Amino acid sequence: MSDAVPLTTDSSGQVATVTPPARGRSRRLSDRKLAVAFITPALLLLLAMSVFPLLWALYLSFTDYSATRGGSAGFVWFENYIAVLTSAQVHLRALTTLIYVVGAVALQTVLGFTIAYLISRRTHGRGLLTTLFLVPMMLSPVVVGLFWRFMLDAQFGVVNSMLGSLGLEQVEWLTRQRTALASLIVVDTWQWTPFIMLIALAGLTAVPRYLYEAASIDRASEWFKFRTITLPLVWPLLLIAVLFRSIEAFRLFDLVYILTSGGPGVSTETLSFHVYKVAFLGFNTGTASAYGILMVVVVIVLTQLYLRYLNKLKED
Amino acid sequence: MTACGGSEDGAGQGSAPKAPATIPELTKDPLTLSFVWFAWPPAQALEKFANEEYRKVRPNATIKVNTVPNANWHDAMFTQFAARKTDFDIAILDSQHIGEAVTNGNILDLTDFVKNNIDVNAYDPYLLAAYGQFPQAETGRRDENASLYGLPLLGDTWTMIYRKDLIGDQAPQTWDEMISAAQKCQTDHPGVSGLAFHQANGSDAAAVTYNTVNGVYGGNLWDAKAKKIEGVLNDAAGQEAMDVLVNRMKPLTAKGSGNWFIDEVNAAVAQGKACIAFNWIAASGGLLDPKQSTLGKSREEILGKLGFATLPKQKTDLVPLGGMGMHVSAYSAAANQAEALNFMKWFEQADIQKKWAAAGGVPSRTDAIQSPEFLNAGPFNKVYADSVPRMRDMWNVPQYARLVDIENTGVNAALNGAKKPGDALDDIAREQQAVLDASGRKGGGGL
Repeated sequence: MSDAVPLTTDSSGQVATVTPPARGRSRRLSDRKLAVAFITPALLLLLAMSVFPLLWALYLSFTDYSATRGGSAGFVWFENYIAVLTSAQVHLRALTTLIYVVGAVALQTVLGFTIAYLISRRTHGRGLLTTLFLVPMMLSPVVVGLFWRFMLDAQFGVVNSMLGSLGLEQVEWLTRQRTALASLIVVDTWQWTPFIMLIALAGLTAVPRYLYEAASIDRASEWFKFRTITLPLVWPLLLIAVLFRSIEAFRLFDLVYILTSGGPGVSTETLSFHVYKVAFLGFNTGTASAYGILMVVVVIVLTQLYLRYLNKLKED
Repeated sequence: MTACGGSEDGAGQGSAPKAPATIPELTKDPLTLSFVWFAWPPAQALEKFANEEYRKVRPNATIKVNTVPNANWHDAMFTQFAARKTDFDIAILDSQHIGEAVTNGNILDLTDFVKNNIDVNAYDPYLLAAYGQFPQAETGRRDENASLYGLPLLGDTWTMIYRKDLIGDQAPQTWDEMISAAQKCQTDHPGVSGLAFHQANGSDAAAVTYNTVNGVYGGNLWDAKAKKIEGVLNDAAGQEAMDVLVNRMKPLTAKGSGNWFIDEVNAAVAQGKACIAFNWIAASGGLLDPKQSTLGKSREEILGKLGFATLPKQKTDLVPLGGMGMHVSAYSAAANQAEALNFMKWFEQADIQKKWAAAGGVPSRTDAIQSPEFLNAGPFNKVYADSVPRMRDMWNVPQYARLVDIENTGVNAALNGAKKPGDALDDIAREQQAVLDASGRKGGGGL
């Protein structure tokens, strides 16, 4: 029996045209070849833009190569790694980065989850509220840095102006050791709390309603429902969001560059900012490569430990 | 022959390719001659001036001055040098960048070209040396046997800007008098800070401020011959300078001014928030613009309130050398290198230098500096003319970018209370010495 011929009709219901059948796929292109054809461009791009530079940086990290001096790269084996790992300057930047990551991610997690929880309990305007909260996340970090720099300016900034109208003293947000790092944490929190909120909201909306209904029938308190139903079910998803944010915060560069330039002194210099200085002020490419590779290794190791914890949580 | 006559590969110590002694034949095709500089008013002035004037002699040439933010200036040029390919033909280098560019073979050696095409006797020898010579000249002098890698584009130094209506017509003559006047002015006029100066930890902001005070109080940045910084920078004079800066000058600045640079200082002056300020002359033109100032509705009204003077003296009369030179990229196309040399020869002529002065530039030829065109173009131009014999530069060595970063962050830390002044200066000297000592070290460089 021949295939049915598809027809189209005009508005009066009469047959107008006959649509020819779709051409079958060429027999020469198997499913596997088609898959390879689709994947190859992305794979080549990945190899050229990510894998090759990473391997090249790994090679350079064992050499004394300098991009500006040029010439051949002499092997120094692990000297760059030893220098980075034993440098007091690096230890100082690592501590600054650690304080920043812990402070920013903790604040973002608490705020993000709280906002998500409050939004999830609303029945009206949830979509609009979510969209509004997402706006900061969509801005470029450079733009965010620039307008916060103006807002936090001790002399002309709107923040100090508001403090002044409340009768409070001016604060040197970006030029004092303690407030500068705190300002970076606040600005990063302003921008990235919506990310945690979004993930947490996805988790909260996925919690089956019947669990809450059953708990209500048992006259469970709101706190009991939150502690025994909401938090355990959202926790794994929240931890994924924390992981992403921690990795992002660990490699913070742009906000530091725009807001404080690492100052006062070097008190807000993060590891990424320091790598930039090693790489581009002295063009010590070999050392900078080793520094960068070590940062990647730290992230990979911590991520693995974290993922193991997540898996354990899942199994439990 | 590569490009304009160089034959070296551009790598290794002192391997800058040589520019030809005479300008090669110029192309008749349309050509864009590109510069790279940082974004500030002189960059716009140069592009406008060059397109108006140079095109009278070379109608097929267009001048494009590409700009980057000041903080990215060094990186923007040297990352392209590192790639051995530049989108600019003329790099406008700070005088201290020359060592790094020469050592890496990034710019052309202009020695023979200068001998044949430039009247070197028309310049103050130190200005010619500062913007072109490597190895670095001794302060105030030029080594006639040393090679030249650039020619002056824009001269500059700091001017003291003071409020005549608040502290009087007479500018303070000594550093001590200046601090006293600022103190009194701040006390008498609540809401106006006594001083405004560069304190930021980006570019060379805080470093130039300290180096200026260091020079005035008789200190030295280093012993250039012995390559010694530790024990020189932080000697008694250096410590006194740091003490003056942090304990006597900083308390007279506005709260939160610890990250101020050129624009912020200008804004404070224009808004009437500072009694005395220090800034680069080349960046001071906007202060006389009524649209940008609250000090008056006309240039004359503003000039009734603002005075410009050379820096006060104390133990010495040294002032910081600013400004930049023109340097031809070793990686530019041959036709563009030829055009760049032709432009430089044209630009350094006496009449063009005077026109440049009238257009807002700061020339380096003595005849142009002393010309009415320059001296009458702005109230601060006489300050520059008087400051030329007093200038001192920083270190012009390949490690400059790291040295200045160490000093910037250290001085900025002291100014903002992150370090004690004495400790900050000792740390700066120790870290800078380590950078000089580590040159040529294998592995771990840059930390």
